Amino acid sequence: MDYVLRIIPQMMEGCVVSFQVFLITIVLSIPLGILLSLGRVSGIKPLQKLIGFYVWVLRGSPLMLQIFFVYFVLPSVGVRLPDFESAIVAFVLNYAAYFCEIFRAGIQAIPQGQYEAAHTLGMNYVQTMRRIILPQVIRIILPPISNETITLVKDTSLVYVLAMNDLMRTARNLVQRDFSITPFIVAAVFYLAATLVLTVLFERLEKHFSRYDQ
Amino acid sequence: MNKIKAQNIWKNFNKLEVLKGIDLEVNEGEVVAVIGPSGGGKSTLLRCLNKLETVDRGSITIDGEVLCRETGSGAEYVNKNDVRRVACKMGMVFQQFNLFPHMTVLQNLIEAPVNVQKRDKAQAIKEAEALLAKVGLSDKRDEYPRKLSGGQQQRVAIARALAMKPSIMLFDEPTSSLDPELTGEVLKTMRELAEEKMTMVVVTHEMAFAREVATKVVFMADGHVQAQGTPSEIFDNPQNERLKAFLNVILK
Repeated sequence: MDYVLRIIPQMMEGCVVSFQVFLITIVLSIPLGILLSLGRVSGIKPLQKLIGFYVWVLRGSPLMLQIFFVYFVLPSVGVRLPDFESAIVAFVLNYAAYFCEIFRAGIQAIPQGQYEAAHTLGMNYVQTMRRIILPQVIRIILPPISNETITLVKDTSLVYVLAMNDLMRTARNLVQRDFSITPFIVAAVFYLAATLVLTVLFERLEKHFSRYDQ
Repeated sequence: MNKIKAQNIWKNFNKLEVLKGIDLEVNEGEVVAVIGPSGGGKSTLLRCLNKLETVDRGSITIDGEVLCRETGSGAEYVNKNDVRRVACKMGMVFQQFNLFPHMTVLQNLIEAPVNVQKRDKAQAIKEAEALLAKVGLSDKRDEYPRKLSGGQQQRVAIARALAMKPSIMLFDEPTSSLDPELTGEVLKTMRELAEEKMTMVVVTHEMAFAREVATKVVFMADGHVQAQGTPSEIFDNPQNERLKAFLNVILK
């Protein structure tokens, strides 16, 4: 127990790194995903094709490979990013692709009649999306978004490959230094605590956004 | 003056001609019932009036304002903003109600008056409450649509359309997805609107309503207006063969 308390401060520092990756990725990739999904259902064929291609590439290759790509390959074309920024770029681009598909499915689940009602009430595109469509989409997409978000918590451990001192690498360093597997257990508890918080949060959100459906 | 004037309207869906040169005129205060067999183009015609469907050819004028003009090769619409402005001169009531499920009854009513027409919110609420009283649903003000019966939802939809202060009301088979015992309450609301001299175009299968409430009946089949006239001309003394056959089947 003493040992656990002693390593907690270091583990917390690792947590901060992981949490930053998580938070920045969520904050940037969800709006990007919404924009991409709007393009995907826009009816503009070349744009739809292009976003379809983007989604295919980003979902179709490993996130770790994408992190390597940003960090090691982009410098050869003159884009040189530090490790943290490289990781963020890869995470945001990757998660935006997943969110794009979630939002697309959500938008397409809204009946045509909702658009027609909005049209007959004189609403323009922005009003229709913002006031009528997206609020209904939120209820539909919360479960898959919750899923992705929890996956992201664990995916943050991939920044390990760029030698960033996130929760995972901190734990591993401690294991190697102290010849004890306890840091792994502590790390697992941290990840589980984070996903538990998210699970409860999303349950509340689902309840809130489906209040009209009870 | 014509409230609605549609001339030579053509519309096809994937090469299937649904409207083949339709003319429709509706005068102020008229209640026009559009009847006819399914697939005859009734709903499509109605949906062309507010550009839920784009016509291939023809001209439409609403309340003196042009929605589209006939050109040599088809139809030319006015710009987007004008389309929106002209389209919301007409309130529309749908077969499937199309209420906004994430908003309460009151929010459904004030959404467009406040956010589109930029009217004062307190005033819009007052007017919405008056409309709810009129359709007999004051007690449902804060309910979500899902909690209401089909007939109640449709009456809310009528109130929502009226909240925009339209000069014309379009009804697209407003009772077709209701249980028989619920159609009465919706028809009653529509009847009251007609008595207030609202200009109305009603696509319907309710022959009793067409006969008793309409001032003009338009019979459509195969993409043409086959016959039109007063209810008694259409129902008591039909001349058109297609119409006679239709009435024979439906009034049996």
